Amino acid sequence: MKSYRSFLFIFITLIFCLTACSSGETSQSEDEVKLILGAYTTPREAYGEIIPLFQEYWLDKTGQRVIFEESYLGSGAQSRAVVEGFEADIVALSLEADVNRIQNAGLITHDWKAGEDKGIITTSIVTFAVREGNPKNIRDWTDLAQPGLEILTPNPNTSGGAMWNILAVYGAAQRGQIEGVPADSPEAAEEFLKQVLSNVSVMDKAARDSILNFEKGIGDLAITYENEILVGKSSGQTYERIIPTSTILIENPIAIIDASVDKHGTRDLAEAFLDFLYTDQAQEIYAQHGLRVVNAQVAADYEEDYPPVEDLFTVDYFGGWDQIMGEIFGEDGVYNRAILQVQRGE
Amino acid sequence: MNSQKKGLGAWGIILLVMLYTGVLIIAPILALIFGAFSEGLAPAIKTLGSSIFLDALWLSLKIALLVVAVQTLLGTIVAWIIVRHDFRGKAFLKSLVDVPFAMSPVVVGYMLLLLFGRNGFLAPIIEPLGIKVAFATPGIFLATLFVSLPFMIKEMIPVIENLDRKQEYAAETLGASSWTIFWRVIFPQLRTALIYGMTLTFARALGEFGAVLVIGGGIQGRTETTTMYIFRSLDERHFVEAYSAAILLGSFSVMIVLIADSIKRREEKHQSQEEAVERL
Repeated sequence: MKSYRSFLFIFITLIFCLTACSSGETSQSEDEVKLILGAYTTPREAYGEIIPLFQEYWLDKTGQRVIFEESYLGSGAQSRAVVEGFEADIVALSLEADVNRIQNAGLITHDWKAGEDKGIITTSIVTFAVREGNPKNIRDWTDLAQPGLEILTPNPNTSGGAMWNILAVYGAAQRGQIEGVPADSPEAAEEFLKQVLSNVSVMDKAARDSILNFEKGIGDLAITYENEILVGKSSGQTYERIIPTSTILIENPIAIIDASVDKHGTRDLAEAFLDFLYTDQAQEIYAQHGLRVVNAQVAADYEEDYPPVEDLFTVDYFGGWDQIMGEIFGEDGVYNRAILQVQRGE
Repeated sequence: MNSQKKGLGAWGIILLVMLYTGVLIIAPILALIFGAFSEGLAPAIKTLGSSIFLDALWLSLKIALLVVAVQTLLGTIVAWIIVRHDFRGKAFLKSLVDVPFAMSPVVVGYMLLLLFGRNGFLAPIIEPLGIKVAFATPGIFLATLFVSLPFMIKEMIPVIENLDRKQEYAAETLGASSWTIFWRVIFPQLRTALIYGMTLTFARALGEFGAVLVIGGGIQGRTETTTMYIFRSLDERHFVEAYSAAILLGSFSVMIVLIADSIKRREEKHQSQEEAVERL
């Protein structure tokens, strides 16, 4: 009985404390401003380094302290969260289609692609991660179709970024860059995509899950972004990067959400942060975290880490994201046709 | 029959049971502890002192305690009504209580988004009032409330059903007010179940992940709970951070379960002593 009373007493005291503490919401003072960043998961480590630099820069310039609120989700999930009411001031996502979704919801009203870099902040390429020493001797896309190979690639239906991998295979095939696949033949390219997909043993829900499973020893090869491999290697992983002859340039967009900055009164701050992300200082940090950068000066400095690709193409090759979402990832699109046939064992 | 002498078969089964529960529960916990301290004590302690982690832990505890408070009060009332009153739709209410058990937490999160999101059904009401639910603490609170609803009610229903009503009538005959009857006659019999229900609710609330991630958005320092922190750290290959956070979160739950168990045991001892006295 006694112990019960003390239990109850402690419990009630705790509740009182909590309600008392949480009612004191931090109010924005004159010399403190808040910026909300909604990003995809990959560049988190980079932002962890860039943000303190920006805070310092802004404090020097204006005397204001910037408090950052950061959220890192899968690109598609982040984009949907913003549409559903997460009031991020700036979004940094994996692909343009995810920014378009926010724009279509009416939350971005300016032309976010108007700038010099067309709203792109970093880039990467689709590559292969293979086991140390490349025991299966994988050199290019052709090798991915060999029977019995176990491939990991995330699921394009859940991972926005996984679409890049599919686009890379399909595009390289169509461009006649894959041995035995005739150029400009959608049928032959789809057939090759099917061959690769039939070797896929695990389809994770996100790119990071995929590479983490590869690290656990599953599969012979992971189709993944170059930056995933470089970040993994820098944390002690021993797999190797193989750059195929032909691959797609992954372009990661960044945009200010008009609805949010207008509501929060943070437009100037958000614009300053965006500009800061293009400076040598910030771009260098991206480059140190496995990402190719748009700043030409910094890109040249890090040339050695990022070898050029013989046949590099962009989403424009497919006619842009609207085309891609319909023709390739639509319900009757190339991808769904191919994966259905693979699942049925045809 | 001599209970002291057990056959080989019985010992075999006992050993099997010990191995099964031991390996299933203790082995992963040990692995976690080794993982957390694999790089020594310093990195683990550094994690537990970081402000992002403390914010997450604070939020988890705050939500869990508030949820327990609400469930204790409302859960008991719901259970009481279900047992003591007959009304149209009672069977429906009873099965409704089970719904959170059967539903995936991720779906719960999405349902709340459908209600409270920017385009949600309730948006026209809450927006003018300036109330933020989605991607804010109230959303996380509601999601946790939803998933932990059945525990208290399920725990209380059988106990209320088994209450000896004769005692209540006796107290009433002796002139006790209904308030007195509740506190002196009914409440002492509910105590153990109440503590157990609170324990389960607390553990469930602390461990919730899917629903709170969807409705909360995992904003660091604001809507990131401890489970989200652990998940994110694993994703970023910060294994020591993830393991140390998991140990701390786990030890909170274990501590609560142990406290509840010891209270329960004390109550039982107390009861059997009373019975012994009565028999004399």
